[in-house]
This record gives sequence, structure tokens and C-alpha cells, in this order.
Amino acid sequence: MKKNIIYILLAGLVSFSSCTDDFAELNTSPNQITDVSLEQNFNHIGAYFPTMLDAFLGGRHQTTYNLAADSWVRHFGCPTPFVAGVNNTTYAPVWINQLWDKTYNSIMAPSSQVIKIAEETGYDMFVQWAKLIQVIGISRCTTYYGPLIYSNYGATGDVAYDSEETLYNNLFSDLDQILSVFSANTDYSGFSDFDATYKGSVPHWIKFVNSLRLQLAIRISNANPALAKTQAEKAINDAGGLITTNADNMILSLYGNIFHEYTISYPWGDTRMSASMESILGGYDDPRADKYWAPVGDALVPDHPDFPYKGIRNGAFLASKDLHLPYSKLNISFKDATSRKLLDAAEVHLMLAEGNLRGWSTPLSAKAHYEEGVKASFAFWGAGGVDAYLANNTGVPLDYDDIVETGAVNDFTTRITATVAWDETATNEEKLEKIITQKWIAGFTNSVEPWADFRRTGYPKLPTNYKNDSNATLGTIAADDFMKRLPFPSKEQTNNASGYASGVSALGGEDKISTSLYFDTGGPNF
Amino acid sequence: MKQKSMKNALLSLCFLFSGLLFAQKSVNGTITDQDGVPLPGATIVVLETNAGATSDFDGNYSISAAEGTTLEISFVGYESLQVLVGADSVYNLTLQEGNALDEIVVTALGIKREEKTLTYASQTVDSESLTQARDMNFANSLNGRAAGVEIRKSSSGAGGSTRIVLRGNKSLTGDSQPLIVIDGVPMVNNRGGQPGMWGGIDSGDGLSQINPDDIESINILKGANASVLYGSQGANGVILITTKSGEEGDTKVTVNSGITFENIIKLPELQYNYGAVNGAKESWSPTSGNYDSGFVEDFFESGSNYINSVSVSGGNNKTKAYFSYYNSTSNGIIPSFKYQKNNISFKQSTKFLNDKMTISSNIILTDENTANRGPSGYYMNPITGLYFFPRERNFSSFQNNYEILNTATNVMTQNWFVEDHHQSNPYWILNKQPREDRIRRAISSLKLEYQITDKLSFQARASYDYTDRKNEQRHSAGSNTTNVGPNGRYDFSRASDDLFYTDGILSYNDQISEDFSLTAILGGSLQRVNFGEGVSASNGSDNLFYANEFNFQNFATNIQVQSTLSSRVEKQALFGNFVLGYKDFVFLDVSGRNDYASTLALTGNESYFYPSYGLSAIISQMVTLPEIISFAKIRASAATVGNEVPFNRINPGNGINASGGVVRNTTKPFTDLKPEMIETTEFGLDLRFMNNKIGLDLAVYNIKSTDQFLSLSAPSGSGFTRYFVNAGEIVNKGVELSIRGNIIEKDNLTWTSILNYTKNTNEVVSIHPDLDNLSTGASEGFRSLFKAGGSIGDFDTYRFQRDGQGRIMMSGGKPMRSAGYEYAGNTDPDYAIGWSNNFTFGDKFAAGFIINGKFGGEVFSQTEAMLDGAGVSLRSGQARDNGGVSVNAVDENGNAVSSANPEAWFTAIGDRNGIGEAYVYDRTNIRLTQLSLSYNIDTSTIGIPLESATISLIGNNLFYTAEAPYDPELAMSTNRNAQGLDNFNLPSTRTIGMNLRLTF
Repeated sequence: MKKNIIYILLAGLVSFSSCTDDFAELNTSPNQITDVSLEQNFNHIGAYFPTMLDAFLGGRHQTTYNLAADSWVRHFGCPTPFVAGVNNTTYAPVWINQLWDKTYNSIMAPSSQVIKIAEETGYDMFVQWAKLIQVIGISRCTTYYGPLIYSNYGATGDVAYDSEETLYNNLFSDLDQILSVFSANTDYSGFSDFDATYKGSVPHWIKFVNSLRLQLAIRISNANPALAKTQAEKAINDAGGLITTNADNMILSLYGNIFHEYTISYPWGDTRMSASMESILGGYDDPRADKYWAPVGDALVPDHPDFPYKGIRNGAFLASKDLHLPYSKLNISFKDATSRKLLDAAEVHLMLAEGNLRGWSTPLSAKAHYEEGVKASFAFWGAGGVDAYLANNTGVPLDYDDIVETGAVNDFTTRITATVAWDETATNEEKLEKIITQKWIAGFTNSVEPWADFRRTGYPKLPTNYKNDSNATLGTIAADDFMKRLPFPSKEQTNNASGYASGVSALGGEDKISTSLYFDTGGPNF
Repeated sequence: MKQKSMKNALLSLCFLFSGLLFAQKSVNGTITDQDGVPLPGATIVVLETNAGATSDFDGNYSISAAEGTTLEISFVGYESLQVLVGADSVYNLTLQEGNALDEIVVTALGIKREEKTLTYASQTVDSESLTQARDMNFANSLNGRAAGVEIRKSSSGAGGSTRIVLRGNKSLTGDSQPLIVIDGVPMVNNRGGQPGMWGGIDSGDGLSQINPDDIESINILKGANASVLYGSQGANGVILITTKSGEEGDTKVTVNSGITFENIIKLPELQYNYGAVNGAKESWSPTSGNYDSGFVEDFFESGSNYINSVSVSGGNNKTKAYFSYYNSTSNGIIPSFKYQKNNISFKQSTKFLNDKMTISSNIILTDENTANRGPSGYYMNPITGLYFFPRERNFSSFQNNYEILNTATNVMTQNWFVEDHHQSNPYWILNKQPREDRIRRAISSLKLEYQITDKLSFQARASYDYTDRKNEQRHSAGSNTTNVGPNGRYDFSRASDDLFYTDGILSYNDQISEDFSLTAILGGSLQRVNFGEGVSASNGSDNLFYANEFNFQNFATNIQVQSTLSSRVEKQALFGNFVLGYKDFVFLDVSGRNDYASTLALTGNESYFYPSYGLSAIISQMVTLPEIISFAKIRASAATVGNEVPFNRINPGNGINASGGVVRNTTKPFTDLKPEMIETTEFGLDLRFMNNKIGLDLAVYNIKSTDQFLSLSAPSGSGFTRYFVNAGEIVNKGVELSIRGNIIEKDNLTWTSILNYTKNTNEVVSIHPDLDNLSTGASEGFRSLFKAGGSIGDFDTYRFQRDGQGRIMMSGGKPMRSAGYEYAGNTDPDYAIGWSNNFTFGDKFAAGFIINGKFGGEVFSQTEAMLDGAGVSLRSGQARDNGGVSVNAVDENGNAVSSANPEAWFTAIGDRNGIGEAYVYDRTNIRLTQLSLSYNIDTSTIGIPLESATISLIGNNLFYTAEAPYDPELAMSTNRNAQGLDNFNLPSTRTIGMNLRLTF
């Protein structure tokens, strides 16, 4: 009897520990979605698109854009002396990896998975759509760093970078492939559930593909004029057309989130109008100022009381944060914004205007595209008075006085002498300055391309930093010069050493902020 | 005799005897030592029936026993005594001081063993030591009571959490906190959220929900050798809590009633003579004025704590029961803080089937409510605004009018002099951003023991531990706009933690031959945990539809209400332990455990085995030692234990974001993950001198942790964002020394003293080839970072740039900061000492105190940096008094500088991201941790049927000395990565009070 009990107990103990079948399920979170579940409603191929589209300009990106391109291209000024006043805005980058990480972590990694799943399940349109997401992400990211991991992405071991020349070629050929599939499926409706931008309209995506091709062609127009012309004309002549009206704009939903620069400007108090905005919008008496910025009291603008906006110089000396907080915030209307633009008709027209100067075959004349571009921008922002604005042939940008600082601290004299009104008799260089200056104004809220334009063409003639903390380690920027790029993230040196070496070699210079990128040739524009 | 007594002790404790039934009668008497001093708390057991009783304060006992049965009387530090019950009913017995090693200790799984057979270090803390000071968080009372135990208490006050680490941090990414076990069964000790540099609140831990008066003893199993039977959960050591049980005999009622008052020991040193210029928020005026210097001190209140408890216990030889109720209330030093805890325990055991079977059950119910727990960090912390307040302004106008009507919106809004993310009106936060934390908990357990034969017994246990946690904070519209939406903010989380545990254990006990004895156990266990299962939501700085309405309906559409599950783990195990004794002086101990863990599913490593071996030898019984040595034992053991991998790491799924998009998992699946392994070797020596008057216990250990589970950032081109590896090695080496002595043993005066010494050195031997270092957090000039060759606990700050002569280099009138973070120190002490003492003066007075010392280690104060940056520190005022800061510096032209402009200097070294080197302090501190004086009231003369009445004067954390300008032992966070960091923590407090203890 007692022995039996022992045997039963022993048997019980053994059987007790033999049931591990449900371990795999136990170790998954019920609050996460499995790939199998996502197959319902085709979410396994579609549901990532809102997240990836949101990754371009959505979310919280203070250190990705606001304290980076927004500052270097002088759209926004910063009142806060972050990191004891020595940071990205003073050419001593401390936030280096942000756009890189966003691109690879939130765009490349998930889109590669989507491509794989869509390929396996035979959804070629989704493959191309995801590919387009990658092209957008990489084409933006390369403007910060230069060479990038692209064609070898996903390889095991160290991954080599594409030189910028190779990269642009790859992007163009990817756009070819995307365009050919999209063009053959213009009535495809599979995107509609996942596409807050164009509601699944493939013809609109084709217009965007063509406009993106034009943007990349413009970007390399000094580096490889022949390829730029070929690609631009391909875009212009494609039957699918370009984004030429605001109704066709590539608009990104904010997906219920607050326009991030509003948050940075209001609750955080970490961004303000830039001094360059004050100078250029004020000098041109630009009605868009009233759409972009919040007015300030008279005391801050004794030098231009009719233009009640005050900006902060980029790379300013900031004694303390409080000092510049009263300057112009973002316009309060951004609080209610539900979307923002990635590429719009204004930019396309202004690109076509430049293309015309470069001898590309464009639908209209340079003047017509220039004026159409400015009108599209005014219409986009809801600003009136565009005809008077375009006729203004006297107004030039203002000199800047930092009213809360004593003496000449942060002050500058504008280098811009161009006016708004088109002058057909002017040189191409003078015409280009007007075009790019207008592109700079119209490009507000998406500073990636304006910063590339500025490095590529030298326009608008923006002021230098007042405070330049660049150093030999990360690269020295001369007092009369500007930030050229961001270094590659240092982690690449440790976890992708030979890939990193290929990147530096493709860069053709030291991995520093002072090394010019491929499109920034330093040569003449024409 | 010795052998027999051992055997009998084993029999009485391990076995549940089935005896013949005798005619019972009441036997009583007094138990004294050889000097006639009564021995309270001696254990009396009827060997045949296993009935037991305990002597009272005057050594009196009463037990029911039959003629012809044997009583065994035992008491710690004395030889056990056996008496045959004859016709008499009064037996006054005298115990001889003897070999204390017959002491029985509770080991892993609740198995009781004789201390002398143990092959590893364990240290017991009795209930008196834990409760005499009536600390609101009793775990803090472990400080200094045992060697090898590092305690850090939270700065958040009553109900706050305690960080306990035994023998150093063993994991690069894990928490290294020990397992807490109640009566053999693991309990949940989840810590809630912890503050960081930017703010937050310590949400307490599970340990604080236990009634300290229910605890009979705490045994600390420091090494894996001792805890191997708990498997991976015990890899960081185990704190074994044994609760009180009912005792046979008359009903015993114990009442404790205490009140203590809590006061700040030290506020930061502030200046009140220099205000702000032009309404700035920093007080940098160079001209002094006569301003209110009392508002900071006046803000804080004197705290009061009330602790009341009652317990009733009793039973007969079949059934014993214990019931207790505990209530504590604390009003802290922050106005509006309130902590309340109610606890009910009920424990019983009954014998069945001719006493062959015992069924015991235990239920603990706790209700804990906290209002406005004290925060740390920058955000939503009342003391930032309090300290920063510009001196020329009038604080009371903001105190009395913390809200004003915004006529543009018709909403009451915060009244504060500045809009700044770092500060708010302190009274607004307390009144208009109230936080409530509520915990309800039930721990229930059932145990069945069955004596199969004399040598073989079986026990089965099941326990269910359920906690419901609710945390809510309602931030009114008009709060700081950095954190709170314009219509207010609602933070809500409600989650449950539950743990189901069951095990079955077969025990075998035999004297195999004249020389050999064997104790063997074989068992299996199953444990399922669900942690953090519930709902959480917060609108943060996003909007609510309607102002000041705090519910989910009022969330705008982009606010996510999240289902949460932080962990779900099932573990199964088979284990065995064999102790072979030779001649009662050599013991070989072998244990093994095989774990099956759901967190390792799909890896092929779900099942993993690890062993431990130990040997102890009582030298004093093997060879003749000098007379002065009354006892000597050496021990050695080696163990390997696996450490847990977190839930849902192998193959995580995809998430849903607030806008309804899917966030694709881009972490590389890790299908060959292994458990972390911890290998420990330990040697120990136990010596007693002069008839055991002095005892010394020494342990040295080496703990090697390998195969650390690390999550690494994946190379950008790899197609993934993160991946996991098993890599890295950490070594902890240490010495633990415990010396105890009965220094004075006179009739009218006794003094016993225990000195615990702990030294642990931690080395991160390697991390991973792809990783130069591992940072566990960097913010605001403080970075916690480990490198190969460094230690866990290392931290970096910015430093001064110095020239070859060590002079600080200045530029533009300001000191120059290093280009990057540099090593600043390590938060762990080099060594620690705890010295506890107990005195009796006659039979009326008793006293005790404990002094703790931590030596070495560094801490960092962002508070001091911020106070300097804002010009409110006393330093900044004195520098202005003196016309400058005296410095040993050199300017950009090579000229020596001896005095710097205070504002330029302090805004450069202080403030956010300043030169942190200036705010790194030595952690070394010595403190009077506890002091108690008690008086036994003579109850025989007061005409109430009181058995005893003791009134005590108690003090806690009374006094400390340290270089640091704040208490370096207070932790902002009891998580690992913000140890030694102060950022607007609440100041350290002392409590003084009294307690009355009555037994009936």
C-alpha cells in the first residue's frame, strides 16, 4: 500500500512536468498581432503603410528636423541653448543618428518585410508601393548623410554603401519599375483602405512618382546634368503627368496627432520663427507670414512695425532660454492641422521653372512656371494678394536686429538683393536665385529639399551662423560657410566596419560635417 | 546524546508523528538558564505527539502531555533537553548553554534543516530586529542586519519601494533583485513604475504589503548555492519570510500601538538674499536684499505615522490558528500625502488521520492606499518650483492663490510667475494634480503534509497571490503645458499581478547506519505568472474633449487605451536534494534542478538542468582544538543556476499605434536563445570562541555570470532594428563577515553585539564583440554605462577641462567642459558595515541600536547642479557675498584666474548638462539607523490580566554624517540604472516615536 502511494506520487511528479506544449503560445503577447491574423482584410501587406507614411514627417522629430535641417536652412530658430548652447544648430552635432535611424528602423526594415510578404503572396502592386516608400525614405535620408546602404540592404555580414551616384541611378531605376507596374494597373483599388493620402488612386500615385523623379533630377542637375535632363524629361513627358495643381499634392495625414512643430513651439517653447524668415518674408511683404507665424507686440519690431513678426538668428548666441521666448511662435492655426505636405504643386512648378532655365523641355516658360509655383503656394496656404506680390520689384529682404541682445550680437545684414518680380532680362543665375528663394519660402514645413537646394545652388543667400562651434573632430566649418552634412552614425564603425569604410570612400572625403555631398558640387549652376 | 538529540530534532521537525494517544494532562513550569535567568521563547515539544508550546517572557510554559511521553525543550544557543513526563505536572527546567548549531533554520522551499549541515551561508534576522523601529517600510530594517545585503530605500516615503541586492549585480540587463518567498512559496514583489531624471513616481513594491508583525523571521539565502532549489528565480538569492503560526496553549493576544513623527534631517543649502533681475526665473541679482528665508522650510510638514496591530493565536494539539490585523497611516512631509494600509492575516493548521496528515492554510489580505506619493525628477514635482522660486518674489501670494480664473476660457488656471517646463506652483500640483495609488492584494495558500512512514513524508502545496493595482492621476486644465493638455490630463492604469504556484515534495530521512545519515527530497513544481495584465491610458499633453473631466469617454480620438500584459510565464521544474551525513560532522549536500520555462519556447532550450554541490565539516568534532575554540566548521559549495529571460523576447509580434497603423516587429527572432548562467563558488568558516560567547562567520564567494541576455541595435543594413545575443561575463567577488558576541552577561546587564561586514567587487569582464559599452540610460549630464573592465554601477558625467597643472581651463569667463562624458564614479560602496547592539538592564529595561556605514562609492546630484544654475544655492549666494567664486583656473590666454563671476561660473557648471564633476560626491556615510529603548511595565501590580506590557521609545534614521549635501543612501529610483542619482528627491527624514506592546 505504502509503496503504491510512493509510485503514484512519483508518477504524478513526472507527469506534472511534462506538459510544455503551450509554451510557445504563452510566450507571445495577446496584445500583439500575429502575421497570420493580419492576413484578414489584407492587412499583412497593407496595414504598415500608414505607419511608414507617417514616418517621413510624422511623430516627434524635434532632433530629426527641427534642430537639424529646419535650422541649417533657417526656417525655424531655436530659443533654447540646448546642451549648454553647443549643439546641432551651432555646427557641433549631438543629434546625428535620428534621420538615419528613422529611415532604417521605421521605413527600410518594415518595408522590406512588406515587400517579402507581398512578393510571396503575389501582390505586385504592394511590392511596388513599398518600394516607393523606400525610395522616398532613402532619397530624403541621403540629403543628410550622402552615401547610404540601399542596394545591398538586408545582406548578411557587413553591408556596403551605395555611392551617391550609384544611389541616384538605383532610385531612378526603381522608379522606372514602380511606374511601369503602376501604369499597367491604374484602376487597381487595393490601396484604398491603407492610403490616407490619395485614397487608393493609382493615377495620383503615378503623378507623385513622376514628380519625385523630377525632384531627384533637379537635385543632381549640377552633378550629372545629362542624366538629370534625361530623367527630368522622362518625368515631364510621362503620360501620367506631374503634380501641377494643389488637388494633386502629396499630403501626409497626421493620423490624429498634433502637428509636431506646434508642440515644440507652444508647450515646449523650443522653436520660434527664424531671423531669415523675418528678413525675407518681411522684405517681400509676404502675406504667407501671417499663415506661418504668430505676430508679436510692437516693442519687439521697432524697425518694421508694419510687419509684426520677430525671428531668432540661426546659430545665435543665447544667454538663456527666456530671452527669445517672446519671439514669433508658429501660427496658432497649426494646432488644428490634420495633414502636412511632402511634395506639392508649388514645388513642381518651381522645379519646372529651374528646368526650363537648364534647357529642359517644360510645358510652360520659366516665368510662367515661376508664377504658377508662387500662386500654388499662396493658394495652398490660403494667402491672398499674390498678383501684387508677384509684381513687387522693389522689396528686398530686411537686415536683422536681435532686439533683446545688446550691440551687434546675432545681428546680420542680408546678402539678398533679388526682388520677387520676374525679370525676363535677368541672367539665368539671377532667375535661379528668385526661383530657389521662392522654393525656400514655399517649402516651409518640409525643409529637406530646401536644405538640399541651398547647398546645391547657394540660394537663398542665407546668413551664416553667429555662433559656430564646429570643431576638428566632427569637421570645421569656416566662418563664412555652412553645414554640409551629418556624419554617419558612429555605431556603423563598430557593427558594420567594412560597410562604413565603403561609405567613407564613396563620400570622397572625410566623414565630417564639412565634406560636401555629391549634388553640392561647388561649381557654377549653369 | 548528541546524535540522539539530532535525530530527535529531525524527527520532531521533519516528521509528523503518529503516536498512540495518551491520557493528556497539563504540564507546566519555568525554563531558565544555568544562572537562573528565565528563558522566554524556548520551544517545548512533546516528541510523541509533536504538540508544541513556547515559554513566555518569564520563562513559563504550559503544555498538554501524557504520562510516559517525552518533552524536548530547545532554545537557540542552548543544549536541548529531554524530560520524561511522570506523575508530576510541574517541571522547572534549566538549559545549559551549549552548541548553538543545533539551531534549525528554514532553507529553500521551506525545508527546515539544522544549521550545522548547511554548506552555504545564510543569515537569519528575527522579527524583533525587523519591527522594533516600526519603519513604515519594514524591508529597510534589513539594512545592516546581515552581511552581503545591499539595501537602498526610495526617497518617496511610506509605501515606497526598497532595492535589495544580494552579493552584487549579476546581470547586465536584468534587475538582480532576490526572490521573495513566504513560507516556502514565491511571492510577487513587482515594483511599479520608478522615477527618472524627467520625473515620475515610485509606485512601491510587493514587499510593503506584508504585515511586519506577522513575520517570525527572515532568512537570507545569499548565494545560488542556497537557492538552487528555487531555480532561475533564485539566481539572485532569496529572502525567505517565515510567518508566525498559532501555538498550542492558551490564547495569546498581542497588541502593538505605535506613533512616530517624521522630520526632515537636512534640506538643500539655499540662499535667500539674492533675487532675480527683471523678473527672470533665476535668482542672479548681484545685489543682496532682505527676503523671506522661511518659505522652503515652511512648505514641508512634520509627518506622522500610526501603526496599530493586533494578533490572536492559540490552539490545541490538533488545530492551531493565528489571526492578525494591522493598520498603518502615514502623513508625510509633503502636504496632502497620505498612506494607509490595512492588512488581515489568518493562518491555521489542523491534524487529521491520527495526526499523520496536517493541512494548513494561510490567507493574507491587504488594502493599501496612497495619495500624492512624493515624486522625483523635473516634471510635475512640487519641490522644483519651491526651490527655484526667485527670492525677491512673495511666495505666500502663490501659496494662497495657486489658481486664478482665466476669463478668456472661464477655466481655473494655475497661478505661477513663469511658464517653465521644470516648475509649477507647488500647491497647484498638490491640489490640482492629485494622484491616487491603490493596491488590493490577496495571498492564499494551502499545504498538505502526510507522514507515509517514519522515514518518508510527502507534502503538497498550492498558493495563489493576486494583486489588483490601480494608479490614477488627474491633472487639471491649466497645469504645466509641457506635460498636460489644455483641458487637463488623465493618467489611468489598472492591472493585476497573479501568481499560481504548486509543488509536491517527497522527503526521506534515515539513519542508514551507525555513521551515515541521509536526508533526501524529490519534488516537482509548477508556477504560472501573469504580471501587469490590465488597461492603461493617458492623454499626456494631447487634448481632452472637455475640461477637467477624467474618464475614457473624454479622450480625443488619437488617445490610445492600451491593453497591457507585462509578463506571462509558466515554469515547471523537477528537483532533488540529498544530504549525506557522516558521524554527524561531515555533510555532503547535492542538489539538482531541471527547469522548463515558457520564455524559452521555440529555442530548443526550454528544458535546462543545473546542479549544486556542497560539503561541510565540523572540525571541532573531528580533532581536538585549543580550548578557546568551542566550535569550528568549514564549508564549501559550488552551484550553477540559470537566470530568467524576459517574456515575449523570442519572437515578438506586431503592434498597433495610436492612429491605427501597424508597427511591424523588426526585431530579429532569436531562436537559439539560452538562459543566462550564474556559477557560484563559496567557502565559509564558522568559528565560536569561549563557550560560544563570541562567534564568527566568514564567507568568501566568486560568482560568474555568463551568457548574458542582451538586446543589441542591429546593423542598419541588416534588415532588422534589434537582435538578441547571449554574451558577456560578469564576476562578483566578495567577502562577508559576521561577528557576534555576548560581550557582557551579567544579571543586571547584558550586551550582545553583531557586526556585519560586506565587501563585493563587481567586474564586467566582457560584453559583446560588437559593443564597446552598454548604456542603461543617459540624461542631463548623467550616464550609466558599463564597459568591459568596468563595473555595473559605473556612471559618467561631464568634467572640467584642465591644463597640465590641473588648473581648470576657462574661456570667456566660464570653465570649459569636457567634450564628452567621462568616467565619474561607481554608485556601489567599496564595503559596508552594519553594527547592531542589544542591551538589557535588569529585567525592566532594554535598549538596542544599529549603526550602518557605507564606505566608498559615488553619487551624483542634479538637484545641486540645478540649484547652482538657478542662483538659489547657498554656494551661489556666498560667492556673491565674497565677490566671486574662488577657483584655481587659467584663462584662454594662459593667465591664472583665482576668482570667477558667480553667475558665469555656476550657470556653466550647474544647470542642465553642466559640468557634472562638480556634483559627484563620495557616498561614504555613517548613520545611526535605529535606536530603541524599552521598558517592561510590571503587569502584576496593575490589576489587568496582562501578561506583559512593553513601552518603547524608537527612532529611525536618526543621524548621519556624509560629505554629500544630501542623503546619499536615498534612491530616486529603485531600478538599477538611476542608483545614486538625486534629482529633486524628497529630503531624507528621521522618525522618532513610541510603541506600546501588550500581550494578554
